[in-house]
Amino acid sequence: MPRNLNLSQCISESLHLEMERDHSVVVVGEDVGMQGGVFGATRGLQKKFGSARVIDTPISESAITGMGVGLAIEGFRPVLEIMFVDFIGVCLDQVYNAIAKNHYMSGGQVRMPIVIKTAGGCIGSGAQHSQCLWGLFAHLPGLKVVAPSNPYDAKGLMAAAVESDDPVVYIEHKGLLLKRAEDFTFGSDVPESRYTIPLGKGNIVHSGTDLTIATISGTVSLAVTVAETLAAKGISIEVIDLRSVVPLDIDLVCESVAKTSRLLVVDEDYLSFGLSAEVITRVIERGVRPRVTRRHAVPDVPIPGALSLEREILPSEASITKVVLEMMEAR
Amino acid sequence: MRHFELACLEGVPTKEIHGELHTAIGQEAISAAMVGTLRKEDAMCSTHRNHMHAIAKGVDMRAMLAEIFERKTGICGGFGGHMHIFDSNVKFSATGIVGAGVPVALGHAYAARLKNNGAVAFAVVGDGAVNTGAFHEAMNMAGAMSLPLVVLVENNEWAISVPFSASSATETIAERASSWGASGVRVNGLDVEAVAEAFANATERARAGEGPSIVEAMCYRFRGHFEGDADMYRSKEEKEARRSQDPLEITKTALVSRNLATEEELIGMADSVQTSMAQMLASVRLDPQPDPADAMKYVFAESR
Repeated sequence: MPRNLNLSQCISESLHLEMERDHSVVVVGEDVGMQGGVFGATRGLQKKFGSARVIDTPISESAITGMGVGLAIEGFRPVLEIMFVDFIGVCLDQVYNAIAKNHYMSGGQVRMPIVIKTAGGCIGSGAQHSQCLWGLFAHLPGLKVVAPSNPYDAKGLMAAAVESDDPVVYIEHKGLLLKRAEDFTFGSDVPESRYTIPLGKGNIVHSGTDLTIATISGTVSLAVTVAETLAAKGISIEVIDLRSVVPLDIDLVCESVAKTSRLLVVDEDYLSFGLSAEVITRVIERGVRPRVTRRHAVPDVPIPGALSLEREILPSEASITKVVLEMMEAR
Repeated sequence: MRHFELACLEGVPTKEIHGELHTAIGQEAISAAMVGTLRKEDAMCSTHRNHMHAIAKGVDMRAMLAEIFERKTGICGGFGGHMHIFDSNVKFSATGIVGAGVPVALGHAYAARLKNNGAVAFAVVGDGAVNTGAFHEAMNMAGAMSLPLVVLVENNEWAISVPFSASSATETIAERASSWGASGVRVNGLDVEAVAEAFANATERARAGEGPSIVEAMCYRFRGHFEGDADMYRSKEEKEARRSQDPLEITKTALVSRNLATEEELIGMADSVQTSMAQMLASVRLDPQPDPADAMKYVFAESR
């Protein structure tokens, strides 16, 4: 029986547990303290751990991320909140020039155990508030990139991200944050105690033998629904939740594709130079040759404002179904 | 410091330093002025022109020279290069991104508050950095939280080819400090005692919990922005006139005129420093380059 909570509460529960067990964990960001985060993912932290460890900052993302670097050098484990992932543009410098590189540039002297916690995904807010951008972070060496699809993973991946000695960009999906645990068809049971999910381990959320869908974050539940619907028509789909873009669990995808011989990558991020091409290329480089491969992602266009336009470019149950059926017909 | 930079210059024509090299020759008095005030537990965030700051902070000079000369024995094992010197033993780090060190210093300042250890965070920047957004964000937060942050601005009047006079809305950088609830002072950066006093005052204020400060030290970089810079943006006359104001000579004259040292003693000291730097460089040159097989090391702390 799922507990009565939403996904953002699972994240806040995880942060509570991390801050309790490790006094070096501090949370820094806009509206994370008194307000508990605009989606409630840091609720109760400031009340419990005080305003010294849960810091409400001005709208100064360069200062927030730079502060994280200094704190990390001093031995702290900062969880930095960038409210929406779209805002990373104003502070990407600290993220990719310092957070991602300091361990390397210092010859391993300096560790950057930083979590950049941020909300991505489309919720109808147009081009500057609806991006995913995990492909952007994944392109930059030195960052681990995580994007949970369900409440169980959200809690366990956050614990693993905070515990990691490497920087982790933890991208929540805005469309899932306020969704109740009981409304998820997978990962809805969330233990109260602490647990971690290792970074870089994907998860088969729906087993099948005809076609593999590899995806992440908000589109996992769409793929599962499609798999359930098409099962009735005799099409057996395996849905893999990659859980993280870096590290990428290519072993799991290869095992599945070796069985199904059809690989579809569904990605709510942009198409070109992104997750979909990376997954397919790595599978092929491993010597696994699917008979049919397709990429289904946002077709290199900003996210439009109006619903009719947005529907046209985002992966949906209908669009995923259409691609799957085309792939099943292809020789 | 001068002889350290001169040693670095030797690596450029030989291609032992195969990328850029930024020296701070002419700006020695400012780094020298910090020495008496800095403590080991204080953090310092420096710039692309960082060698003298590192020496002032107590970074191992030989290991730094080896890093600059791209050796395995370098302080970052050769993974950093001269713009990215890190020494966690003395809490020193540098960034090649102009202005980016100030938010990092803000983090150190906040850590000092959390640890309640009386440490002060120092950011050393050039006059170009003060016009970045990161500089403003960090100064504002330091002021709002009254954090122990001291920003030492080496105003050498040129951000590569653009003069300070053309890039600042205010006559001085020091006067901007009040916008952030900070104290600000401009000093003659060729006068080691003036800088030392201003720097010590700012640091004392930070240690006392009175918030951030900006110390603006006026100076002139004797060489181009980087080795190989044609430096056509500064007139020959300007360069000659300003280079004649050498902080080393100014300090020597002051020491001799006040009978604190004789000319012979100072020449002897300079000779001995020159000799030991030559020995250090010769020894660094015997060190191996990093093992190419290690190039993928350190991307992550944990295995993937």
